[in-house]
Amino acid sequence: MSALLELASVTKYFGGLCAVSDVSLAIKKNAIFGLIGPNGAGKTTVFNLITGVYKTDKGTIRLGATDLLPLRPSAIARAGIARTFQNIRLFGQLSVLENLLVAGELTKKAGIFSAVMRSRHHHADEDLHLAEARSLLEVFELGDKADDASTSLSYGNQRKLEIARAMMLKPKVLLLDEPAAGMNYGEAEGLKKQIRWLRDTFDLTVVLVEHNMQVVMGVCDEIQVLDHGEPIAYGTPEQIRTDEKVLAAYLGDESLAMGQGTDVPAVELPVKDPNAPEAHS
Amino acid sequence: MDSAKQADESKKGHEKPRSAKDRFGGAIFVVGSLLVALVAEFLLPRLIEDSSVRNILMTICCNAVVALSLNVINGMAGQFSIGHAGFMALGAYTAALIVSAMHTSFGGGTLPPTSFDHDYLVAFGHSFAIVPVALLAGALVAALFGLLVGLPSLRLRGDYLAIVTLGFAEILRLSVATTRLGNDETVGEAVHAIGGPNGFFGPVFHVGSVFLSSLGGKKGYSGPDGAGVPLYAGPFWVIFITALVALVAWRLKFSGWGRALRALREDEIASEAVGVDPTRYKVTSFVISAFGGGLAGALYAIMRDGNPVVQPDSFTFQTSFDAITMVIIGGSGSVTGAILGAVFVTVTVKLIELVQHADVVQNLSSSLEAHGFSLDLNALRMMIYAGVIIALMVLRPEGVFGEREPFFKKRMRTREGAPA
Repeated sequence: MSALLELASVTKYFGGLCAVSDVSLAIKKNAIFGLIGPNGAGKTTVFNLITGVYKTDKGTIRLGATDLLPLRPSAIARAGIARTFQNIRLFGQLSVLENLLVAGELTKKAGIFSAVMRSRHHHADEDLHLAEARSLLEVFELGDKADDASTSLSYGNQRKLEIARAMMLKPKVLLLDEPAAGMNYGEAEGLKKQIRWLRDTFDLTVVLVEHNMQVVMGVCDEIQVLDHGEPIAYGTPEQIRTDEKVLAAYLGDESLAMGQGTDVPAVELPVKDPNAPEAHS
Repeated sequence: MDSAKQADESKKGHEKPRSAKDRFGGAIFVVGSLLVALVAEFLLPRLIEDSSVRNILMTICCNAVVALSLNVINGMAGQFSIGHAGFMALGAYTAALIVSAMHTSFGGGTLPPTSFDHDYLVAFGHSFAIVPVALLAGALVAALFGLLVGLPSLRLRGDYLAIVTLGFAEILRLSVATTRLGNDETVGEAVHAIGGPNGFFGPVFHVGSVFLSSLGGKKGYSGPDGAGVPLYAGPFWVIFITALVALVAWRLKFSGWGRALRALREDEIASEAVGVDPTRYKVTSFVISAFGGGLAGALYAIMRDGNPVVQPDSFTFQTSFDAITMVIIGGSGSVTGAILGAVFVTVTVKLIELVQHADVVQNLSSSLEAHGFSLDLNALRMMIYAGVIIALMVLRPEGVFGEREPFFKKRMRTREGAPA
């Protein structure tokens, strides 16, 4: 099967800094695809390039037959790509339910005049979106908080609400940016189940940026590793676990000499040995 | 759990017939305000003999329209526009010109006072042809300019948008106030400098300046014969239009469109990620706001018991600032708050004017002047505003009501209160 979401030689510069260099991804339909790498590897930048927040300098990004490069972020969302954010971005002054309803604007048929006249179309749209939003809130166990201010939710619930809002778009591809940040072991196990369940129930393709290896190794079918904006490894979790380049990127080269290094740490080790020679230039 | 089936079920649950309030609420409101406005048209002049008090009531209504329209862009969309007076001026001049022209074509003459004789009823009848046309034209011209200003300037944020809108309003006001065709015809000379009257811009420029100079400059426009703009909009029109604007503002806020606008204000990147196109929503909100501003200006210009001369000085930065004060005091984004703010600002302004003209104050003032002091109570207004705004910033930074609608608690939630 050919890839649903395809990035070919995507490159992005910020001034003189090459944030993403020649990255190619082919993400199959219904896959759960992991995108990992040390801090500053360019993972979130790749998300921002896919969703059009940044303009790609070189390369192509396609969703099925649609070229995403010329589209604005809102049009990319329309094309079927939904995302969550690393630092949660909810609509603070809006209620939990309203946060979801905003995403319903996309499929709305009634225009502004219908809204003023409160026409049949307006009510039909509102009823439909309200029903969808409520059933999504039930799915994410937020049903009883529908009328609360979105900022009053707990951190974990805010993350859930962000995913629910993204699902309101009925996307083909869901981009999750560090959904497990700040979660403990049990919550992360729950998240793994949820991601699989979402994929199966909504016929989704999931792209996951995550530092939590428990989640990444447990849920992803395929993993792409980036370091300093460059792709360094690609494969199944088992292959990535033992890939020398990956271990070098995360731990520095000396760790290879010290042990067999099959045990990728649950949290990334931020400190790189300054004496170690650079694995990649 | 089969969520598709669940969505289906809850969808069915929502297809129950709407409550009577839901279905006919709008119609009842319109008919009700129509009746109230009609009663006011005929009763107000009898109940309140003093035209300056009537003027206060009508001005409150006009200011409510100003605040409600500014609330769309400043409150809901969170864009800081400080040029609302510009749109009001456009609406006012357009409406004044149209009313004057239509009045002449209906036979001219002075409008009868509010004694309920035949003449009055005829004039009231004519107002049904004249007022809607004038108001709509004023609002549409303002909306057109709103589009012209909005398209380029909504790429700007915060302070920069404020500067552009302020500049727009001031350019407009000063163009009207200062354009004069003298003997040396300065504008005409400018035309020659550009490319002569045979070029494209020359004639356009000339016609434009002739038109602008016909608006009376700093003294203001007072009808074609200088006898004042015929004031066709009595309490009926002022109250009815205000009620309609309030209804539209309410429905805009509680619609998907209003929700998307508020989402955009909260987080632009996140709203783009869920498919809300910022440019489209911002420009639409700007145009709607300008439309309302033009409508308010038009109402001012042709309001009975109001000023029969449309002057550029009525549309200074002070006017824009008053409008912002109304929105901020009431609570940015709140429809009821905007109305409350309009009432507060109008009443303080007008009350101080009334007190200033009272005999006691006048006597005191003249006796003080003998000792070399002057007494201007208008200065009090800024002190009251400043006091109120400082107190609000300390106690309630979000305004009196914040974004809430205090008398309509249930509506803030979704229409069906019960869980799905």
